[in-house]
Amino acid sequence: MQTFRLMVNGQARVVTVYPGTPLLWVLREELKMTGTKYGCGISACGACTVHLAGVATRSCVVPVSQIGNRPIVTIEGVEQDRVGRAIQDAWVAEDVVQCGYCQSGQIMSAVALLKSRRTPTDADIEQSLGGNICRCGTYVRIRKAIQAASQQLA
Amino acid sequence: MGSCAGKRPNPKRGLRVTYSSTIRRSSGVLILIACSGALSLAQDTRPKAASTTREAGLAAWQQVYAVLTYPRCINCHTATNYPQQGDDRHPHLFNVVRGPEGTGVAGLNCATCHQSANADTTGVPGAHNWHLAPLSMTWQDLNDNILSSPDVCRSLTDRSKNGSLDGSGILRHHEEEPLVLWAFQPGRRRDGTERSLPPLTHEQFVAATRIWIAAGMPCPQNF
Repeated sequence: MQTFRLMVNGQARVVTVYPGTPLLWVLREELKMTGTKYGCGISACGACTVHLAGVATRSCVVPVSQIGNRPIVTIEGVEQDRVGRAIQDAWVAEDVVQCGYCQSGQIMSAVALLKSRRTPTDADIEQSLGGNICRCGTYVRIRKAIQAASQQLA
Repeated sequence: MGSCAGKRPNPKRGLRVTYSSTIRRSSGVLILIACSGALSLAQDTRPKAASTTREAGLAAWQQVYAVLTYPRCINCHTATNYPQQGDDRHPHLFNVVRGPEGTGVAGLNCATCHQSANADTTGVPGAHNWHLAPLSMTWQDLNDNILSSPDVCRSLTDRSKNGSLDGSGILRHHEEEPLVLWAFQPGRRRDGTERSLPPLTHEQFVAATRIWIAAGMPCPQNF
């Protein structure tokens, strides 16, 4: 076991875990931040996506020992900035969610996309969220919500 | 595999024998280099056509080629719009795409999973600045056939394609580039087994590169 100091959603947190523990389990089990979901455990579905120093990252495959001093933003903290709020508002306005299990990951990837490309094309959206799987098939509404958020931010 | 693939050295059988014979053939040259004192490749790696025979250089090149076209290397030296994975060089899972800079796209870039070191507990390989090689440096054609030895050699030595690297630059890339180093320490798969290694050790790879460069970076003729 080893102690790690993490910066999560702007707050310093200390955890004592095995170094190889994936960040996802540190968030969910140690910090009780269950907004980030476990889907596949092999980075295939995107449900566990968080931001690591601004980069959309699959928390299920990144050992906590590799985080270093990079700040972590989870779905619980995404509303702290303008892009995150715009995406969340658009998600509600477009009624994107069906079962909701994948949606925190979808939102984190969408925020990363809009922060990098403020007016994404449909192709940009499909490529950037191509690794986020939605079993309910909400892809059309997701694309619509991202375009709406983009317009709201313009 | 296409026709080119059949002509590359068999990495599991003849290669080590070939490498050994290359070393034997080159040993006289290496001794000469070591004894001369004036030419230390570690200090001066500019191509010197006269310092090593073309034959030794071509033999060394074949060893270099065998490494470059091994899955650990060619999976990121693709001609495709996506990376490849595994010893069978299958398309990268999870809809990963090349992106404008060879690092994926926003929301799904290489760093979405690949960190600066191997993550053996989760099976994800990692090294500093994980990215695809540029499309000017592909070791395969658009049909996923491995390019021939002459074709790879010509690309590698073409400074309009290789990032303007001369011999010393190529050697430095083989010696120091984190992703090249990763290929020789690729870590474990998700099931805990070791990823397969290129047919040469890193030291042998660098030694072969040195011999090839010292021979003036000769390229074999087309078959």
